[in-house]
Amino acid sequence: MAPRVRISIRDLSKTFSQGLREVPAVSRVSFDIYDKEFVAIVGPSGCGKSTILNMIGALIAPSGGQILVDGTAVAGNAPAQVGYVFQKDTVFPWRTVERNIGLGLEYHGVPAAERAARVGEAIKLAGLQGFEEAFPATLSGGMRQRVALMRSLIVNPEILLMDEPFGALDTHTKLNLHAELLALWEARHQTVVFVTHDLSEAITLADRVVVMTRRPGRLKHVYDVKLPRPRDVIKIRESDEYLREYGQIWHALGEEFQEKAS
Amino acid sequence: MKAGRGGVLFWQLAILIVFIGAWEYLTGIKAISKTPGLYWIDPFFISRPSKIVERFLYLASDKVRLSIWQMALSTIQSTLWGFLVGISTGFVAGLVLGRNDRVARIFDPYIVAFNSLPRIALVPLITMIFGFGLLAKIVLAWSIVFFIVFFNTFQGARSVDADLVNSARFLGARESQIMRTVVIPSALAWTFASLTPSISFALIGVVVGEFIGGESGGGLGYLIILSLGTLNAADMMVALFALGVIGIVMALGIKQIEARLLRWRPEYQKR
Repeated sequence: MAPRVRISIRDLSKTFSQGLREVPAVSRVSFDIYDKEFVAIVGPSGCGKSTILNMIGALIAPSGGQILVDGTAVAGNAPAQVGYVFQKDTVFPWRTVERNIGLGLEYHGVPAAERAARVGEAIKLAGLQGFEEAFPATLSGGMRQRVALMRSLIVNPEILLMDEPFGALDTHTKLNLHAELLALWEARHQTVVFVTHDLSEAITLADRVVVMTRRPGRLKHVYDVKLPRPRDVIKIRESDEYLREYGQIWHALGEEFQEKAS
Repeated sequence: MKAGRGGVLFWQLAILIVFIGAWEYLTGIKAISKTPGLYWIDPFFISRPSKIVERFLYLASDKVRLSIWQMALSTIQSTLWGFLVGISTGFVAGLVLGRNDRVARIFDPYIVAFNSLPRIALVPLITMIFGFGLLAKIVLAWSIVFFIVFFNTFQGARSVDADLVNSARFLGARESQIMRTVVIPSALAWTFASLTPSISFALIGVVVGEFIGGESGGGLGYLIILSLGTLNAADMMVALFALGVIGIVMALGIKQIEARLLRWRPEYQKR
Protein backbone atom coordinates (compact mmCIF):
# COMPACT_ATOMS: atom_id res chain seq x y z
CA MET A 1 0.00 0.00 0.00
CA ALA A 2 1.35 3.39 -0.97
CA PRO A 3 1.91 5.74 1.96
CA ARG A 4 -0.69 8.45 2.50
CA VAL A 5 0.19 11.98 1.43
CA ARG A 6 -0.15 14.34 4.39
CA ILE A 7 1.19 17.57 2.96
CA SER A 8 0.98 18.31 -0.71
CA ILE A 9 2.84 21.36 -1.98
CA ARG A 10 1.68 22.30 -5.44
CA ASP A 11 3.33 24.84 -7.67
CA LEU A 12 3.97 27.04 -4.63
CA SER A 13 5.35 30.56 -5.10
CA LYS A 14 5.88 33.48 -2.79
CA THR A 15 6.88 37.03 -3.68
CA PHE A 16 7.54 39.65 -1.01
CA SER A 17 7.20 43.31 -1.79
CA GLN A 18 9.94 45.53 -0.41
CA GLY A 19 8.71 49.01 -1.08
CA LEU A 20 8.25 49.11 -4.83
CA ARG A 21 10.46 46.11 -5.48
CA GLU A 22 9.03 42.62 -5.78
CA VAL A 23 11.39 40.05 -4.34
CA PRO A 24 10.67 36.45 -5.32
CA ALA A 25 11.42 34.13 -2.39
CA VAL A 26 9.96 30.83 -3.51
CA SER A 27 9.34 29.90 -7.10
CA ARG A 28 7.05 27.11 -8.29
CA VAL A 29 7.93 24.43 -5.77
CA SER A 30 6.07 21.13 -5.77
CA PHE A 31 6.57 18.06 -3.59
CA ASP A 32 4.64 15.74 -1.32
CA ILE A 33 5.30 14.77 2.27
CA TYR A 34 4.01 11.40 3.38
CA ASP A 35 2.52 10.23 6.64
CA LYS A 36 5.03 9.50 9.45
CA GLU A 37 7.84 10.85 7.35
CA PHE A 38 10.71 13.01 8.57
CA VAL A 39 11.58 15.51 5.84
CA ALA A 40 14.36 18.06 6.07
CA ILE A 41 14.56 21.11 3.83
CA VAL A 42 18.05 22.51 3.27
CA GLY A 43 19.42 25.30 1.14
CA PRO A 44 21.53 28.44 1.25
CA SER A 45 20.21 31.27 3.39
CA GLY A 46 17.48 33.25 1.69
CA CYS A 47 16.37 30.28 -0.38
CA GLY A 48 12.87 30.47 1.05
CA LYS A 49 12.97 27.28 3.09
CA SER A 50 11.53 28.93 6.17
CA THR A 51 9.02 30.70 3.96
CA ILE A 52 7.70 27.34 2.76
CA LEU A 53 7.37 26.19 6.35
CA ASN A 54 5.54 29.37 7.30
CA MET A 55 3.15 28.85 4.42
CA ILE A 56 2.41 25.28 5.56
CA GLY A 57 1.70 26.71 9.00
CA ALA A 58 -0.51 29.46 7.51
CA LEU A 59 1.67 32.17 9.01
CA ILE A 60 1.98 33.73 5.57
CA ALA A 61 -0.17 33.29 2.48
CA PRO A 62 1.25 31.96 -0.81
CA SER A 63 1.40 34.27 -3.84
CA GLY A 64 0.76 31.36 -6.14
CA GLY A 65 -0.01 27.65 -6.01
CA GLN A 66 -1.40 25.95 -2.95
CA ILE A 67 -0.71 23.65 -0.01
CA LEU A 68 -2.99 20.81 0.96
CA VAL A 69 -2.79 19.33 4.43
CA ASP A 70 -4.70 16.05 4.56
CA GLY A 71 -6.44 17.07 1.36
CA THR A 72 -7.65 20.44 2.62
CA ALA A 73 -6.18 23.67 1.26
CA VAL A 74 -4.37 25.71 3.92
CA ALA A 75 -5.94 29.15 4.20
CA GLY A 76 -6.11 31.68 7.01
CA ASN A 77 -5.82 29.54 10.12
CA ALA A 78 -3.19 26.97 10.94
CA PRO A 79 -4.47 23.40 10.46
CA ALA A 80 -5.38 21.94 13.85
CA GLN A 81 -3.14 18.89 13.48
CA VAL A 82 -0.02 21.04 13.04
CA GLY A 83 2.51 21.96 15.71
CA TYR A 84 5.33 24.45 15.23
CA VAL A 85 8.74 24.88 16.86
CA PHE A 86 10.27 28.25 16.12
CA GLN A 87 13.93 29.05 15.65
CA LYS A 88 13.56 31.94 18.03
CA ASP A 89 13.07 31.30 21.70
CA THR A 90 9.29 31.39 22.10
CA VAL A 91 9.08 30.00 25.61
CA PHE A 92 6.90 32.40 27.62
CA PRO A 93 9.30 34.12 30.02
CA TRP A 94 6.57 34.81 32.59
CA ARG A 95 5.66 31.16 32.98
CA THR A 96 7.56 28.47 34.80
CA VAL A 97 8.82 25.42 32.89
CA GLU A 98 5.84 23.27 33.85
CA ARG A 99 3.31 25.99 33.09
CA ASN A 100 4.96 26.54 29.70
CA ILE A 101 4.79 22.88 28.81
CA GLY A 102 1.18 22.69 29.98
CA LEU A 103 0.07 25.67 27.88
CA GLY A 104 -1.52 23.68 25.06
CA LEU A 105 -3.41 21.48 27.51
CA GLU A 106 -4.62 24.58 29.30
CA TYR A 107 -5.87 26.04 26.01
CA HIS A 108 -7.75 22.84 25.28
CA GLY A 109 -9.38 22.85 28.70
CA VAL A 110 -7.72 19.67 29.97
CA PRO A 111 -8.51 19.28 33.71
CA ALA A 112 -5.71 20.25 36.10
CA ALA A 113 -5.07 16.75 37.43
CA GLU A 114 -4.61 15.21 34.00
CA ARG A 115 -2.58 18.20 32.95
CA ALA A 116 -0.19 17.79 35.87
CA ALA A 117 0.28 14.11 35.07
CA ARG A 118 1.01 14.70 31.40
CA VAL A 119 3.29 17.64 32.09
CA GLY A 120 5.18 15.55 34.63
CA GLU A 121 5.68 12.85 32.03
CA ALA A 122 6.91 15.37 29.46
CA ILE A 123 9.33 16.90 31.95
CA LYS A 124 10.77 13.47 32.63
CA LEU A 125 11.08 12.74 28.91
CA ALA A 126 12.96 15.99 28.37
CA GLY A 127 15.18 15.45 31.40
CA LEU A 128 14.00 18.66 33.01
CA GLN A 129 13.35 17.23 36.46
CA GLY A 130 14.15 19.73 39.18
CA PHE A 131 13.41 22.67 36.90
CA GLU A 132 9.61 22.45 37.01
CA GLU A 133 9.29 25.71 38.94
CA ALA A 134 12.13 27.53 37.19
CA PHE A 135 11.52 30.56 35.02
CA PRO A 136 13.05 30.46 31.52
CA ALA A 137 15.46 33.30 32.32
CA THR A 138 17.39 30.91 34.56
CA LEU A 139 17.69 28.16 31.91
CA SER A 140 20.28 27.57 29.21
CA GLY A 141 19.37 27.90 25.54
CA GLY A 142 19.28 24.13 25.11
CA MET A 143 16.93 23.68 28.04
CA ARG A 144 14.65 26.42 26.78
CA GLN A 145 14.45 24.74 23.38
CA ARG A 146 13.64 21.43 25.12
CA VAL A 147 10.77 23.19 26.87
CA ALA A 148 9.57 24.58 23.53
CA LEU A 149 9.78 21.12 21.95
CA MET A 150 7.87 19.41 24.76
CA ARG A 151 5.31 22.21 24.75
CA SER A 152 4.61 21.50 21.08
CA LEU A 153 4.60 17.73 21.47
CA ILE A 154 2.32 17.52 24.50
CA VAL A 155 -0.77 18.32 22.44
CA ASN A 156 0.14 15.39 20.16
CA PRO A 157 0.36 17.18 16.83
CA GLU A 158 0.32 14.73 13.93
CA ILE A 159 2.42 17.11 11.89
CA LEU A 160 5.35 18.97 13.41
CA LEU A 161 6.92 21.92 11.64
CA MET A 162 10.38 22.86 12.89
CA ASP A 163 12.16 26.01 11.74
CA GLU A 164 15.88 25.63 12.51
CA PRO A 165 14.96 24.82 16.11
CA PHE A 166 18.55 24.04 17.12
CA GLY A 167 20.21 26.74 15.02
CA ALA A 168 21.35 28.81 17.97
CA LEU A 169 22.82 25.94 20.01
CA ASP A 170 26.37 24.69 20.33
CA THR A 171 27.34 21.39 18.68
CA HIS A 172 27.29 19.33 21.84
CA THR A 173 23.83 20.50 22.96
CA LYS A 174 22.63 20.11 19.41
CA LEU A 175 23.68 16.45 19.25
CA ASN A 176 21.92 15.73 22.54
CA LEU A 177 18.77 17.31 21.24
CA HIS A 178 19.02 15.34 17.99
CA ALA A 179 19.12 12.13 19.98
CA GLU A 180 16.16 13.20 22.10
CA LEU A 181 14.15 14.34 19.12
CA LEU A 182 14.77 11.03 17.32
CA ALA A 183 13.77 9.05 20.40
CA LEU A 184 10.56 11.02 20.72
CA TRP A 185 9.88 10.62 17.03
CA GLU A 186 10.52 6.86 17.10
CA ALA A 187 7.84 6.62 19.80
CA ARG A 188 5.12 8.55 17.98
CA HIS A 189 6.16 8.88 14.35
CA GLN A 190 4.77 12.32 13.73
CA THR A 191 5.13 13.72 10.25
CA VAL A 192 8.00 16.18 10.62
CA VAL A 193 9.10 18.99 8.33
CA PHE A 194 12.45 20.24 9.54
CA VAL A 195 14.09 23.33 8.06
CA THR A 196 17.84 23.74 8.57
CA HIS A 197 20.98 25.06 6.94
CA ASP A 198 23.04 22.33 8.60
CA LEU A 199 23.33 19.39 6.22
CA SER A 200 24.70 16.94 8.79
CA GLU A 201 21.70 17.69 10.98
CA ALA A 202 19.38 17.06 8.05
CA ILE A 203 20.98 13.70 7.18
CA THR A 204 21.13 12.57 10.78
CA LEU A 205 17.45 13.16 11.33
CA ALA A 206 15.55 12.88 8.08
CA ASP A 207 14.15 10.20 5.78
CA ARG A 208 14.33 12.58 2.87
CA VAL A 209 16.28 15.76 2.30
CA VAL A 210 14.83 18.45 0.05
CA VAL A 211 17.55 20.65 -1.44
CA MET A 212 16.54 24.15 -2.52
CA THR A 213 18.36 26.41 -4.95
CA ARG A 214 19.52 29.87 -3.98
CA ARG A 215 17.03 32.72 -4.28
CA PRO A 216 14.47 32.59 -5.76
CA GLY A 217 14.13 29.20 -4.10
CA ARG A 218 13.27 26.39 -6.44
CA LEU A 219 13.32 22.69 -5.78
CA LYS A 220 16.73 21.38 -6.79
CA HIS A 221 16.53 17.76 -5.83
CA VAL A 222 15.00 15.44 -3.25
CA TYR A 223 17.35 12.82 -1.74
CA ASP A 224 16.33 9.65 0.05
CA VAL A 225 18.48 9.11 3.11
CA LYS A 226 18.87 5.34 3.22
CA LEU A 227 20.34 5.12 6.69
CA PRO A 228 18.87 2.46 8.99
CA ARG A 229 16.81 3.41 12.01
CA PRO A 230 16.94 3.78 14.92
CA ARG A 231 19.97 5.98 14.42
CA ASP A 232 22.77 6.76 16.83
CA VAL A 233 23.47 10.44 16.27
CA ILE A 234 27.18 10.09 17.13
CA LYS A 235 28.07 6.80 15.50
CA ILE A 236 26.07 7.46 12.36
CA ARG A 237 28.52 10.15 11.35
CA GLU A 238 31.34 7.63 11.15
CA SER A 239 29.45 5.26 8.90
CA ASP A 240 30.26 4.96 5.22
CA GLU A 241 26.62 5.34 4.21
CA TYR A 242 26.44 8.65 6.02
CA LEU A 243 29.58 9.92 4.34
CA ARG A 244 28.31 8.82 0.95
CA GLU A 245 24.94 10.56 1.44
CA TYR A 246 26.68 13.62 2.77
CA GLY A 247 29.12 13.79 -0.15
CA GLN A 248 26.35 13.46 -2.68
CA ILE A 249 24.04 16.10 -1.21
CA TRP A 250 26.91 18.40 -0.31
CA HIS A 251 27.92 18.45 -3.93
CA ALA A 252 24.46 19.64 -4.99
CA LEU A 253 24.32 22.17 -2.18
CA GLY A 254 27.84 23.37 -2.93
CA GLU A 255 26.82 24.33 -6.44
CA GLU A 256 24.28 26.71 -4.94
CA PHE A 257 26.80 28.27 -2.57
CA GLN A 258 29.32 28.67 -5.38
CA GLU A 259 27.00 30.33 -7.83
CA LYS A 260 26.07 32.76 -5.13
CA ALA A 261 29.67 33.65 -4.49
CA SER A 262 30.60 34.28 -8.12
CA MET B 1 29.49 43.06 50.18
CA LYS B 2 28.07 43.30 53.66
CA ALA B 3 30.71 45.78 54.79
CA GLY B 4 29.97 47.87 51.70
CA ARG B 5 26.30 48.06 52.49
CA GLY B 6 27.05 48.98 56.10
CA GLY B 7 29.32 51.73 54.84
CA VAL B 8 26.59 53.17 52.65
CA LEU B 9 24.14 53.16 55.54
CA PHE B 10 26.73 54.83 57.77
CA TRP B 11 27.23 57.67 55.33
CA GLN B 12 23.53 58.08 54.76
CA LEU B 13 22.93 58.44 58.48
CA ALA B 14 25.95 60.71 58.88
CA ILE B 15 24.66 63.08 56.22
CA LEU B 16 21.23 63.16 57.84
CA ILE B 17 22.65 63.93 61.28
CA VAL B 18 25.01 66.63 60.00
CA PHE B 19 22.21 68.19 57.99
CA ILE B 20 19.73 68.30 60.86
CA GLY B 21 22.43 69.40 63.31
CA ALA B 22 23.53 72.24 61.04
CA TRP B 23 19.95 73.29 60.51
CA GLU B 24 19.26 73.38 64.24
CA TYR B 25 22.54 75.17 65.00
CA LEU B 26 22.60 77.76 62.22
CA THR B 27 19.04 78.84 62.83
CA GLY B 28 19.86 79.31 66.54
CA ILE B 29 22.86 81.65 66.42
CA LYS B 30 22.66 85.39 65.87
CA ALA B 31 24.61 87.10 63.10
CA ILE B 32 25.17 90.18 65.25
CA SER B 33 24.94 89.58 68.98
CA LYS B 34 22.04 91.08 70.89
CA THR B 35 20.33 92.35 67.75
CA PRO B 36 16.88 90.79 67.88
CA GLY B 37 15.78 88.82 64.84
CA LEU B 38 19.07 88.83 62.93
CA TYR B 39 19.96 85.18 62.62
CA TRP B 40 22.56 83.55 60.43
CA ILE B 41 19.69 81.75 58.85
CA ASP B 42 16.30 83.05 59.77
CA PRO B 43 14.08 80.31 61.28
CA PHE B 44 11.10 82.40 60.23
CA PHE B 45 11.45 80.99 56.73
CA ILE B 46 12.66 77.46 57.27
CA SER B 47 11.85 76.89 60.92
CA ARG B 48 14.04 74.65 63.12
CA PRO B 49 14.03 70.88 63.65
CA SER B 50 13.14 71.24 67.33
CA LYS B 51 10.29 73.58 66.46
CA ILE B 52 9.03 71.21 63.77
CA VAL B 53 8.98 68.26 66.16
CA GLU B 54 7.14 70.40 68.68
CA ARG B 55 4.52 71.41 66.11
CA PHE B 56 4.23 67.85 64.90
CA LEU B 57 3.48 66.60 68.40
CA TYR B 58 0.92 69.36 68.79
CA LEU B 59 -0.74 68.63 65.44
CA ALA B 60 -0.74 64.92 66.25
CA SER B 61 -2.46 65.45 69.59
CA ASP B 62 -6.21 65.69 70.05
CA LYS B 63 -5.94 69.35 71.02
CA VAL B 64 -6.51 70.33 67.38
CA ARG B 65 -9.77 70.18 65.44
CA LEU B 66 -8.19 68.55 62.39
CA SER B 67 -5.21 66.38 63.40
CA ILE B 68 -2.24 65.61 61.17
CA TRP B 69 -3.38 61.98 61.10
CA GLN B 70 -6.75 62.91 59.62
CA MET B 71 -5.07 65.13 57.06
CA ALA B 72 -2.54 62.47 56.11
CA LEU B 73 -5.29 59.89 55.86
CA SER B 74 -7.29 62.13 53.54
CA THR B 75 -4.25 62.63 51.31
CA ILE B 76 -3.38 58.94 51.27
CA GLN B 77 -6.95 57.94 50.57
CA SER B 78 -7.39 60.24 47.60
CA THR B 79 -3.96 59.33 46.24
CA LEU B 80 -4.64 55.60 46.39
CA TRP B 81 -8.09 55.95 44.86
CA GLY B 82 -6.84 58.17 42.07
CA PHE B 83 -3.97 55.78 41.52
CA LEU B 84 -6.12 52.64 41.47
CA VAL B 85 -8.79 54.07 39.21
CA GLY B 86 -6.08 55.61 37.03
CA ILE B 87 -4.10 52.42 36.53
CA SER B 88 -7.12 50.21 35.94
CA THR B 89 -8.72 52.52 33.37
CA GLY B 90 -5.35 53.35 31.80
CA PHE B 91 -4.46 49.68 31.58
CA VAL B 92 -7.73 48.66 29.94
CA ALA B 93 -7.65 51.59 27.52
CA GLY B 94 -4.01 50.85 26.66
CA LEU B 95 -4.77 47.20 25.96
CA VAL B 96 -7.83 47.89 23.84
CA LEU B 97 -6.19 50.60 21.75
CA GLY B 98 -2.89 48.76 21.64
CA ARG B 99 -4.49 45.70 20.07
CA ASN B 100 -6.77 47.62 17.75
CA ASP B 101 -5.04 49.71 15.10
CA ARG B 102 -8.15 51.37 13.78
CA VAL B 103 -9.49 52.53 17.12
CA ALA B 104 -5.98 53.69 18.06
CA ARG B 105 -5.72 55.83 14.93
CA ILE B 106 -9.14 57.36 15.51
CA PHE B 107 -8.44 58.33 19.12
CA ASP B 108 -4.83 59.39 18.62
CA PRO B 109 -5.28 63.18 18.15
CA TYR B 110 -7.68 63.45 21.10
CA ILE B 111 -5.37 61.60 23.41
CA VAL B 112 -2.37 63.66 22.40
CA ALA B 113 -4.34 66.90 22.76
CA PHE B 114 -5.73 66.07 26.18
CA ASN B 115 -2.41 64.79 27.43
CA SER B 116 -0.58 67.96 26.40
CA LEU B 117 -2.93 70.09 28.50
CA PRO B 118 -1.16 70.99 31.74
CA ARG B 119 -3.26 69.14 34.28
CA ILE B 120 -2.88 71.92 36.85
CA ALA B 121 -4.91 74.16 34.54
CA LEU B 122 -7.80 71.76 34.95
CA VAL B 123 -7.92 72.08 38.74
CA PRO B 124 -10.44 74.92 38.85
CA LEU B 125 -12.69 73.20 36.32
CA ILE B 126 -12.52 69.89 38.13
CA THR B 127 -13.31 71.68 41.38
CA MET B 128 -16.27 73.39 39.75
CA ILE B 129 -17.66 70.08 38.59
CA PHE B 130 -16.81 67.80 41.48
CA GLY B 131 -16.88 70.24 44.35
CA PHE B 132 -14.39 70.79 47.16
CA GLY B 133 -14.14 67.25 48.38
CA LEU B 134 -12.43 63.92 48.07
CA LEU B 135 -13.89 63.32 44.63
CA ALA B 136 -12.23 66.32 42.99
CA LYS B 137 -8.83 65.23 44.28
CA ILE B 138 -9.35 61.69 43.04
CA VAL B 139 -10.39 62.91 39.60
CA LEU B 140 -7.33 65.12 39.41
CA ALA B 141 -4.96 62.30 40.36
CA TRP B 142 -6.76 60.02 37.91
CA SER B 143 -6.39 62.49 35.04
CA ILE B 144 -2.61 62.31 35.41
CA VAL B 145 -2.16 58.64 36.23
CA PHE B 146 -4.47 57.48 33.48
CA PHE B 147 -2.26 58.84 30.71
CA ILE B 148 1.02 57.63 32.15
CA VAL B 149 -0.31 54.09 32.47
CA PHE B 150 -2.20 54.30 29.22
CA PHE B 151 0.80 55.24 27.11
CA ASN B 152 2.99 52.57 28.66
CA THR B 153 0.43 49.79 28.35
CA PHE B 154 -0.32 50.90 24.81
CA GLN B 155 3.34 50.53 23.88
CA GLY B 156 3.49 47.21 25.70
CA ALA B 157 0.44 45.84 23.92
CA ARG B 158 1.85 46.94 20.56
CA SER B 159 5.24 45.38 21.09
CA VAL B 160 3.98 41.92 21.96
CA ASP B 161 6.24 39.44 20.18
CA ALA B 162 4.34 38.11 17.14
CA ASP B 163 6.10 34.74 17.42
CA LEU B 164 4.78 34.29 20.96
CA VAL B 165 1.28 34.96 19.69
CA ASN B 166 1.82 32.53 16.82
CA SER B 167 3.15 29.80 19.05
CA ALA B 168 0.10 30.20 21.30
CA ARG B 169 -2.07 29.88 18.22
CA PHE B 170 -0.35 26.66 17.19
CA LEU B 171 -1.05 25.28 20.64
CA GLY B 172 -4.74 25.89 20.03
CA ALA B 173 -5.30 29.22 21.81
CA ARG B 174 -8.44 31.21 21.09
CA GLU B 175 -8.26 35.02 20.87
CA SER B 176 -9.38 35.47 24.47
CA GLN B 177 -6.74 32.99 25.63
CA ILE B 178 -4.06 34.79 23.66
CA MET B 179 -5.12 38.02 25.37
CA ARG B 180 -4.91 36.42 28.80
CA THR B 181 -1.76 34.34 28.42
CA VAL B 182 0.35 36.39 26.00
CA VAL B 183 -0.75 40.00 25.55
CA ILE B 184 -1.57 40.90 29.16
CA PRO B 185 1.55 39.35 30.74
CA SER B 186 3.88 40.95 28.24
CA ALA B 187 2.13 44.33 28.44
CA LEU B 188 2.24 44.16 32.25
CA ALA B 189 6.00 44.53 32.24
CA TRP B 190 5.56 47.90 30.53
CA THR B 191 2.67 48.89 32.75
CA PHE B 192 4.71 48.23 35.87
CA ALA B 193 7.47 50.50 34.65
CA SER B 194 4.91 53.31 34.81
CA LEU B 195 3.62 52.61 38.31
CA THR B 196 6.37 54.24 40.36
CA PRO B 197 6.10 57.56 38.49
CA SER B 198 2.32 57.18 38.59
CA ILE B 199 2.10 57.07 42.36
CA SER B 200 4.30 60.16 42.63
CA PHE B 201 2.18 62.00 40.12
CA ALA B 202 -1.01 60.90 41.84
CA LEU B 203 0.34 62.47 45.01
CA ILE B 204 1.17 65.68 43.14
CA GLY B 205 -2.34 65.80 41.71
CA VAL B 206 -3.91 65.31 45.11
CA VAL B 207 -1.79 67.96 46.83
CA VAL B 208 -2.55 70.50 44.12
CA GLY B 209 -6.22 69.66 44.51
CA GLU B 210 -5.92 70.22 48.24
CA PHE B 211 -4.31 73.62 47.70
CA ILE B 212 -7.57 75.00 46.44
CA GLY B 213 -9.89 72.41 47.93
CA GLY B 214 -10.11 74.15 51.31
CA GLU B 215 -11.08 72.55 54.56
CA SER B 216 -13.76 70.24 53.20
CA GLY B 217 -11.13 68.56 51.04
CA GLY B 218 -8.71 68.49 53.97
CA GLY B 219 -5.38 66.80 53.49
CA LEU B 220 -1.77 67.82 53.85
CA GLY B 221 -2.02 70.24 50.92
CA TYR B 222 -4.63 72.11 52.93
CA LEU B 223 -2.23 72.27 55.88
CA ILE B 224 0.42 73.80 53.62
CA ILE B 225 -1.95 76.49 52.34
CA LEU B 226 -3.22 77.12 55.86
CA SER B 227 0.37 77.59 57.09
CA LEU B 228 1.02 80.00 54.25
CA GLY B 229 -1.92 82.07 55.45
CA THR B 230 -0.50 82.23 58.98
CA LEU B 231 3.14 82.40 57.82
CA ASN B 232 3.88 79.30 59.90
CA ALA B 233 6.99 77.61 58.45
CA ALA B 234 7.04 74.90 61.12
CA ASP B 235 3.59 73.59 60.20
CA MET B 236 4.52 73.72 56.56
CA MET B 237 7.62 71.63 57.25
CA VAL B 238 5.52 69.10 59.17
CA ALA B 239 3.29 68.73 56.12
CA LEU B 240 6.27 68.42 53.76
CA PHE B 241 7.94 65.73 55.87
CA ALA B 242 4.68 63.85 56.13
CA LEU B 243 4.29 63.99 52.34
CA GLY B 244 7.85 62.77 51.92
CA VAL B 245 7.24 59.79 54.16
CA ILE B 246 3.98 58.95 52.40
CA GLY B 247 5.68 59.18 49.01
CA ILE B 248 8.53 56.89 50.03
CA VAL B 249 6.29 54.28 51.64
CA MET B 250 4.02 54.16 48.61
CA ALA B 251 6.92 53.85 46.17
CA LEU B 252 8.43 51.03 48.24
CA GLY B 253 5.06 49.27 48.31
CA ILE B 254 4.86 49.41 44.52
CA LYS B 255 8.38 48.01 44.21
CA GLN B 256 7.37 45.09 46.41
CA ILE B 257 4.31 44.27 44.31
CA GLU B 258 6.34 44.67 41.13
CA ALA B 259 9.04 42.27 42.33
CA ARG B 260 6.34 39.70 43.09
CA LEU B 261 4.41 39.95 39.86
CA LEU B 262 7.46 40.28 37.64
CA ARG B 263 9.49 37.63 39.40
CA TRP B 264 10.02 35.88 36.06
CA ARG B 265 12.22 38.74 34.83
CA PRO B 266 15.99 38.18 35.01
CA GLU B 267 16.52 41.20 37.28
CA TYR B 268 14.25 39.67 39.93
CA GLN B 269 15.69 36.17 39.73
CA LYS B 270 17.61 35.12 42.79
CA ARG B 271 20.20 32.59 41.82
